[in-house]
Amino acid sequence: MKTRRAMFRSKGGVHPASRKRATNAMPVEFMPLSKVLFVSMVQHMGAPARPVVKKGDAVMRGQVLGEAGGYVSAPVHAPTSGKVIAISERPTQAGLPAACVEIEPDGEDRWDAARQPGPDWKTMEAKALVERIVAAGIVGMGGAGFPTHVKLSPPAGKTIDTLIINGAECEPYLTADQRLMVEAAQSIWTGVQIVRQILGARRLVMAIEDNKPDAIQAMSAAMEGTDAELVVLKTEYPQGAEKQLIYAVTGREVPSGGLPMAVGALVENVGTCAAIYDAIVEGRPLTERIVTVTGAMVRTPKNLRARIGTPLADLVAFCGGMVGLPGKIICGGPMMGLAQGSLEAAVTKTTSGVVLLPHQAVQQFSSMPCISCGRCVSACPMRLMPNTLGEMIEAEDNEGAEGLNVMDCIECGSCAYECPAHRPLVQHMRQAKAEITKQRLKKATAAKG
Amino acid sequence: MNEPVEKTLPIAAKEPTWLASSSPHAHSGDSVRKIMLTVIIALMPALAAAGIFFGWDALRLTGVCIVSCVAAEAATRKLMRRDKGIGDLSAVVTGLLLAFNLPPALPSWMAVVGSIVAIVIAKQFYGGLGYNPFNPALIGRVLLLISFPVAMTTWGPWQILSPAAGVDAITTATPLGLVKTTLGTGQPLPFVFDGDTILQFFMGAKNGCIGEVSVLALLIGGMYLLWRRCISWQVPVFYIGTVAVFATILWLADPTHNYNPLFHILTGGLVLGAFFMATDMVTTPVTKTGLMFFGIGCGVLTMVIRKWGGYPEGVSFAILIMNAFTPLLNRMTRPRVFGHGQKKKQA
Amino acid sequence: MRFYKELIKGLWTENPIFRLVLGMCPALAITTSVMNAIGMGLAATFVLICSNIAIAAVHNIVPSKVRIPCYIVIIATFVTVVDLLMNAYLHELHKSLGIFIPLIVVNCIILGRAEAFASKNGVWLSIADGIGMGIGFTLSLIVVSAIREILGNATLLGYAVGHYQVALLMVLPPGGFLTLGCLLALMNHIQAGMARRSGHAYVPPPTLDCRHCAICKWGE
Repeated sequence: MKTRRAMFRSKGGVHPASRKRATNAMPVEFMPLSKVLFVSMVQHMGAPARPVVKKGDAVMRGQVLGEAGGYVSAPVHAPTSGKVIAISERPTQAGLPAACVEIEPDGEDRWDAARQPGPDWKTMEAKALVERIVAAGIVGMGGAGFPTHVKLSPPAGKTIDTLIINGAECEPYLTADQRLMVEAAQSIWTGVQIVRQILGARRLVMAIEDNKPDAIQAMSAAMEGTDAELVVLKTEYPQGAEKQLIYAVTGREVPSGGLPMAVGALVENVGTCAAIYDAIVEGRPLTERIVTVTGAMVRTPKNLRARIGTPLADLVAFCGGMVGLPGKIICGGPMMGLAQGSLEAAVTKTTSGVVLLPHQAVQQFSSMPCISCGRCVSACPMRLMPNTLGEMIEAEDNEGAEGLNVMDCIECGSCAYECPAHRPLVQHMRQAKAEITKQRLKKATAAKG
Repeated sequence: MNEPVEKTLPIAAKEPTWLASSSPHAHSGDSVRKIMLTVIIALMPALAAAGIFFGWDALRLTGVCIVSCVAAEAATRKLMRRDKGIGDLSAVVTGLLLAFNLPPALPSWMAVVGSIVAIVIAKQFYGGLGYNPFNPALIGRVLLLISFPVAMTTWGPWQILSPAAGVDAITTATPLGLVKTTLGTGQPLPFVFDGDTILQFFMGAKNGCIGEVSVLALLIGGMYLLWRRCISWQVPVFYIGTVAVFATILWLADPTHNYNPLFHILTGGLVLGAFFMATDMVTTPVTKTGLMFFGIGCGVLTMVIRKWGGYPEGVSFAILIMNAFTPLLNRMTRPRVFGHGQKKKQA
Repeated sequence: MRFYKELIKGLWTENPIFRLVLGMCPALAITTSVMNAIGMGLAATFVLICSNIAIAAVHNIVPSKVRIPCYIVIIATFVTVVDLLMNAYLHELHKSLGIFIPLIVVNCIILGRAEAFASKNGVWLSIADGIGMGIGFTLSLIVVSAIREILGNATLLGYAVGHYQVALLMVLPPGGFLTLGCLLALMNHIQAGMARRSGHAYVPPPTLDCRHCAICKWGE
């Protein structure tokens, strides 16, 4: 194994206060079972899962509650044993209603009898491994929730020579991945090797930001004696964004509109790798994850290993409750996370953190005209011109915005973070992207019809 | 929390205590007002220097300019029914910069005229802060310079430390004006530009506009701006650098009719312009490359006007002309978007 | 009635300078004094009336493909007449207007009226149009030049109006642009107010950049 600094420095990026110190040395604690678990059928990108249980059913931990709704989808499993008390419509973290299976735990937490540790993964075919991953309902745990098996099944003729494991965790506040690397380096490393075997990747890179020396140490200990590389990244947001990470590690730019496999690379989050280990070696489907509960308004910030479906309110209560009324409650990090109107939503496979920000941190300013300071241009990791795009979109010139590559925007929020005029740049980009996608769909259907 | 879900209400209506706006939820905390405040602080050393060298007159003009700029801004915004008031402090900056570009003996009413032109015509008519294509303070100054050429070029007496033979040690012109008129009449250079004079010019004991005399004070303010990330280093470095290179070539070509490059850097409004006016965010390019070209263009134009133009000083005109090139520079220096081929030209 | 309507439209609703924004070249160049403005305005009015009459009279027999050259020849003829007459009888004014007298040939108003009005209407109405447009043009020039002369030269029609510090800029080209721009803005403002009072919504010109302009909010 060799350790090196990232060779390629991508332009742009911002340096928000990391505020990870509250939780980065706190060992992960087990979150006790809640009275009711709300398991949403929308836990991932793609088609929602279809509930296959009904009210009154007794379920075991790991039993399938909802089957995949399509190829780009993933099944959802019971996080504990108990009784299905309702199948209802509840708002997800994004605020949109979705089907949700409510489980009242029986407190025994018995695993499904069908669960079996798999045979030795080293002897298994790639296809069989992917099948097990599909069955375990594993999705990208970094935040986007893209079903992992889709990424692991490149179309024929595409080879992936570089596998990058994302341990950057560049969002402020969050320490879930960092703690996972420190505490479960060996499982991550086994999971990584499984992924490598599936893909047949020649090169294996573990990428960690340099503000996590304990994680770097733990991972390098686990990787000792292998041919993998450990790349230490400069601490910068959005260093963990897929395209930026691939560039920092390999110097290859994912072409506009393309997938990482276009440059022969694939990025997996450390959490996903640990989940793959659980699924293949232990035979456990994905039913829990590490959630960082932090922010100035939480009494005792903690890293929690929580079951999928645990209501956010219970997480906060377990951390000693709030010290006052928060200004904002965010699922995920403050740069790209979803602000919550209430604490009713529940933990999903992609919930990396719950951040309770004080009022003064989230003051709302009314936006001013652009003063052309150019900070957004310097900050944009995609090298777009957010100032010009913002003005174009305000003038409803979506075509012009498309010409300036608004579709390449990754909505990382760096521009709006820097903007001294408090312009809602990311909101503008989202609006334009949605509008353009709609137009393109319309055109495509018109061409077909 | 675990009430029957059938009763679940839309989330926003239920918990009005915290915000549910979309990401990003973090902000650097910087604001237009803070930037303007930083610029005002950065201009304070130069104002203090002006107070020392010109006394009451400098403070009077500065006060008049600030008050009339703020009043003009407030009145126009009210009349035009634009929502924001004067809280962003940009009118104060405009007033300060305009005053810094006026000779200390200018009548107050002319400063008022300049302020009104700067705020009303150069800024609010175009749509207010952010939309003005030209630096308002410079428009105000240039309008005054063209309208009242005599008043705008009347200076008090000052003493040159190292006069050349045949020239009075006391003059009522600026160094650049003195050189231009002397050379224009076919006489040799009017003073020796030696160590004493260099120090004199650097500290600020010379004729010039209120804010431009003390290079030392301006550099202190400029460094503060750079440190606070309010300006990019590209503009001052390339602007002053280009002037230095240009002046060096002239000096090497003909040392009997040109001073060494330090003369061009230490006289006139170059340092004031390079740190405070060619760096105005609204009227300059947004890309770093664009700012570099902007600085180079300003430098070349300044030297061309100083050497061959009708006016002894060309900083204001140079910056205004380059302001007009800003949209073009922004288009030309658009960065290559991540993931788009090097060769593929952007439309 | 129609005659009267065509006569007065040039004064306000279709004022060539402030509403149609035609003839900008003389409006900016010669409005340094009111005398110049009157001279230029009357010369243009004369050409306008004469060319309108001539073009209205011949437009039926001119093939449409060659109509522009024909109109230009007609206009140039009358401009030459004015040029020579002014040189003979108003020599001083002719000298101060200089090249701008021959340049009336390419003044947009004259060809514009020929194309837009005289070639579609009879002689009688064309006379009304020519007089109205010509007077509108002259009055507009007088307004612009009066402002510039008072501020830039402290005189009006050559007579001193007071002792004060003049702004040299006003009699230089930038002063022309500034004055004209401010007057155009004022006209738009008045127009918007009139539209609102009469109960119609003010429709800003399509070329107006709505991000920058707050004209719709004026006078609310």
